Amino acid sequence: MKMSASKVKMREKKMRDQPVSVQYSSQNEAGGSNENGGETRSTGGGPSTNRPKRSHHQPGWVRGHQKDGGDYSKEMPKYITAGGFARARAAEVKAMLKAVTKRPASCHVFETLPKHMRRRAMSHNTKRLPRRLRLMAMKLREKSLQGGSKKKKEQTRSKSRKARRRHGNLLLEFNRRQRKNIWLETHIWHAKRFHMVKKWGYCLGDRPTYKCYRPCYRAMSSHCLLQDLSYYCCIELQGEEDRLLTGLSQLTSKEAGPTFAAALCLSGRRQGSVVVYRAGQYPSQPLGPVTFLWRPRTQGSTHRQLWIWAHPTLKQDLLAELRSVCDCSEAVVPVVVPEPSPAEVTPTVDSEPKPKTTPGAKRKRSSKDQSGPPAKKILGDGTRSPTTPVTWKSSSSTTVINDLTMEIIRYRLIGPQSHTVITEAFEAATSCDEMNKSQPSSLWWPEHCKDENKMHLHQQQADVFHLLKGIFSTAELPPGTILGLTVDDPRLTLPTKKVKALPCVKQAQEVDEEKRRELVLSGVSEHCCQSFLWDRSVRDNVIDNKISEQELNRMRSEVLVPGSRLPVPPQGRVPVLLVHQPGKQVGHEMSSWGAGWDLLLPKGWGMAFWVPLVYRGVRIGGLNMSLKHSQNKSAPHFPHDYPDCPAGVHFQEEQEAELLDKFKRRPPAKRTNYIKHGCLAPFCCPWQQLAEEWEHITREGGEEREGAGRSRTTTEADTVMEGEVATPRQDVTMTMAQRFTVLRNRKSLRLLSGWCKPTTSKGQRACRLRPPPPSLDLSAVKSFLTSHRMTLVWVRLSLLSGGKPELHGIVCVPTSEDLKQLKAPGAVGPQEPPHKDHFKSRIKRKKSSKKAAAPSLPSDKTVEKETELSSASDPNIPITSSSPLDLVLGLWPDPLPSVASHCSRLTLGWVTQGDFSLSAGCGEALGFVSVPGLLNTLQNQPMEHRGTVLLRNPTSLQYRFAKINIEV
Amino acid sequence: MVRIKSRHLLCEINVTDRNCLLLLDDRAVLAAVKDTVLRMHGDYGAAPLCFLCVFLVKYLNAHTGIVFLRFPKNCYKLLWSALPFITSIESRGHKISCFFNCLHVGGTIRTCQKFLIRYNTQQLHRMLPKCKNEEEKQEIRQAILNCSLLRGKKEAFEEASESEEDEEE
Repeated sequence: MKMSASKVKMREKKMRDQPVSVQYSSQNEAGGSNENGGETRSTGGGPSTNRPKRSHHQPGWVRGHQKDGGDYSKEMPKYITAGGFARARAAEVKAMLKAVTKRPASCHVFETLPKHMRRRAMSHNTKRLPRRLRLMAMKLREKSLQGGSKKKKEQTRSKSRKARRRHGNLLLEFNRRQRKNIWLETHIWHAKRFHMVKKWGYCLGDRPTYKCYRPCYRAMSSHCLLQDLSYYCCIELQGEEDRLLTGLSQLTSKEAGPTFAAALCLSGRRQGSVVVYRAGQYPSQPLGPVTFLWRPRTQGSTHRQLWIWAHPTLKQDLLAELRSVCDCSEAVVPVVVPEPSPAEVTPTVDSEPKPKTTPGAKRKRSSKDQSGPPAKKILGDGTRSPTTPVTWKSSSSTTVINDLTMEIIRYRLIGPQSHTVITEAFEAATSCDEMNKSQPSSLWWPEHCKDENKMHLHQQQADVFHLLKGIFSTAELPPGTILGLTVDDPRLTLPTKKVKALPCVKQAQEVDEEKRRELVLSGVSEHCCQSFLWDRSVRDNVIDNKISEQELNRMRSEVLVPGSRLPVPPQGRVPVLLVHQPGKQVGHEMSSWGAGWDLLLPKGWGMAFWVPLVYRGVRIGGLNMSLKHSQNKSAPHFPHDYPDCPAGVHFQEEQEAELLDKFKRRPPAKRTNYIKHGCLAPFCCPWQQLAEEWEHITREGGEEREGAGRSRTTTEADTVMEGEVATPRQDVTMTMAQRFTVLRNRKSLRLLSGWCKPTTSKGQRACRLRPPPPSLDLSAVKSFLTSHRMTLVWVRLSLLSGGKPELHGIVCVPTSEDLKQLKAPGAVGPQEPPHKDHFKSRIKRKKSSKKAAAPSLPSDKTVEKETELSSASDPNIPITSSSPLDLVLGLWPDPLPSVASHCSRLTLGWVTQGDFSLSAGCGEALGFVSVPGLLNTLQNQPMEHRGTVLLRNPTSLQYRFAKINIEV
Repeated sequence: MVRIKSRHLLCEINVTDRNCLLLLDDRAVLAAVKDTVLRMHGDYGAAPLCFLCVFLVKYLNAHTGIVFLRFPKNCYKLLWSALPFITSIESRGHKISCFFNCLHVGGTIRTCQKFLIRYNTQQLHRMLPKCKNEEEKQEIRQAILNCSLLRGKKEAFEEASESEEDEEE
């Protein structure tokens, strides 16, 4: 038995006082073992009174018969004396006494105390110990303090806690900590309540530390859920309208839905959303989804302003793409003056400013704060170096691109009552006092009050804002509505206690019915969408003149009647932008579920708006909730559901590494054997391989069928086919190198959706008002396939019976027998026969061979033998001459066999998100399937079962029936 | 704490020839006990001894012939009953005829040690008046004085040993 060094030491210490057996095991030992034997052979004199040296190399618990027994008889005394007898007894007694009086010395003194006498914190305060043990405890304590830990401690905490928590020092510490990852303004608030994760260069709250999955869902569907989405990046484009539009049109395609130029969005009345592609590359090389807002037109000017909101993972790509399409190659290095002017263009800077080291790294907030004292609170981005350009201008036109990351705060309120929360938390700005109006002011609002036009606009906006109170649900509003507004500092109206904002029925009746209907039908009129948030000067003014919390509290304490409302100070007005977020837009049930408002604020005001919102009884969600939100909304979530985007690919790799790591952390015997479950890729979906294989399968199938069709020969069909067959053949060479794409063409999606027969999540057929889709015949499919060979399509799968789909579940084609089974009541679904793990024996063999040949170099022989053996035993396994090293038990080694035909049912695709859907009441999964595969399946299915597939979790053998929904 | 409970038997090995005592060895004692148990109780009796971690010779003094045997608690009576049947121990090629005299049965080694101290001092005290000559008397007196580590401590411990409950035979 091997013991670790420390264990041996402990044991030695413990056994030090225990008596050792006295026996003549060998000649050498005989002399040493006289301790409690008492009789020394050689001298026979008195027992040594002083403690004899200990023979540590043979302690008492090591037993064993020594071989050289020796001739004892010679050594033995021939006679016995009373003295010797007595000495032996005395020595033994002495040894025993020692053992008895000394407690077995474990390292803690208080362990010698009986349990009922032990007290808390004895190790800290030795006075809690009984007196007899105190001395020893003190010694021990000193010893432990002397150990290396002391020095380290002193280094780290040089200051007292009080000193460290002092405001200035705390701020310094916070600033130091946000040098690597950007903190949102609500970071401290979140860090106290959330599990924080470092993602995309930010510190973000993932999920609350308390249990609130269902309450959050309930909040989304009946009240309001609040999220801080400030990590989304805002990119500002300024320039001539047509120039901007021509540039942007390269990034999108009309086939995939409305673009940047959609009339409603262009007028500035609606927020739009598009999927952006690399310039002119549609349908390949997508970048990701973005939302955008146009600033409403000002009279007589074609100069427009556009904000594009993108996820941080795609920002760098998007920025590069935008710069190239808009010709904005000149970087403007930010100088102390926040407003970059053309005069400050430095030609020395590369036309291609280096992207920051971290992909999601953000830029620093405006330069004004950088020049301030170092202990100033960081607003905006703390990771960006001050010299990183945030502005790019075009040399040929007036187009300017601004990176407004972390300049604008974005809060998202989800839920039907979010308008109630907003109307309760904020009040439209009150106009300034008359006396203030006369004198010029450095603040923006008093200046604005002097302008009649602006006040009139503000009045109109305030009216619309009041109308919101009368609305029953946020979902009533037209999706994407924008409302500009100026509000009072919400801290002034902060309730003393948290209250739940409830819709007020009485107020609703007061509101003009006519106006309300107009608002619901047509949204906010164009000029009301204007907001001063678009103005950089106003934004900076608001940020700089924010009243500090301290000042506010001082004012509160000076109020005559404690607790009464504060008068609004002149700097207490903030321009905001309210943007309506559409809810569920596709499908037939739960329509517009999860609609809400986005609140855009100037930076620095984050906490001032956050706390008042929280005080209105909203729930707070993290990243986890936004995933669930989009899942229930049946909308793809970025970057999870964009496997064809660079960000999506990156995300998949990360997820794979994470899952694999988690898998490997379990002991091998407790791991799921995915090979036996017939799951080729439990951690990462090989979309490319799937698309290629299905492309291959359909091509072969098509050729066969063509042969069959030839014999039947109807002349028209023949001509049609010839034309069609010719094209795929040409494609063959091309498609091999081609990357898969995700189908985003609205027309094709609609066609597919019709073929799949959209149903509700429970599987009932929805009453269809649309004209029936073109029938699913051979020629239609063929023509469809020619354009979409290597495509995947995003689908929603709802389970027909029980079961909860999980991540990377497998979507399979049911056989005709399976479909027959479906008719039987209570049918669960077929089972996959367990697979055999051929790699297990290989791993074992490798282990044993490694053990055998451990010291010698891993010889080629063993590898050869392995490959021979495996090839002999199973020809199906691709012989991986490479890397027998990275064989992990239960996982397929890297060159995967055919993914489509690995299981007993053909694989169509995989699930990217799966959960029990609280809104549908059944298991729902979102995933991708191959388009050729899906069409192939649909063709072979009878009409009544069309669109039924099988779903299987990676850790189970049970298939479950699911219905495919493609909703456009 | 949860632990495997055991009984410790404090035995004295009585031999006819005192010189043979020095030949003793813990393995030999172990083997002798095992043999006897197997002989007396068969496989049923020998089975508990297979757990070597429980059945051990914890201490053996070849000079005084004192041995600590550890038995599992649930069947120590059975094993104990076999001890009187040991008549000889085979050690280093010699056959030592002997018998076991069990002095004490304790729940822990500590109680056995405490008993042994009392027992030995008692023995020495008993020896003192029986001494034949002055020289011996002096030696034994010296031995008795040697018995204590620290005089003050000894009394305290003896009080404690009385208060602690143990099973004495």
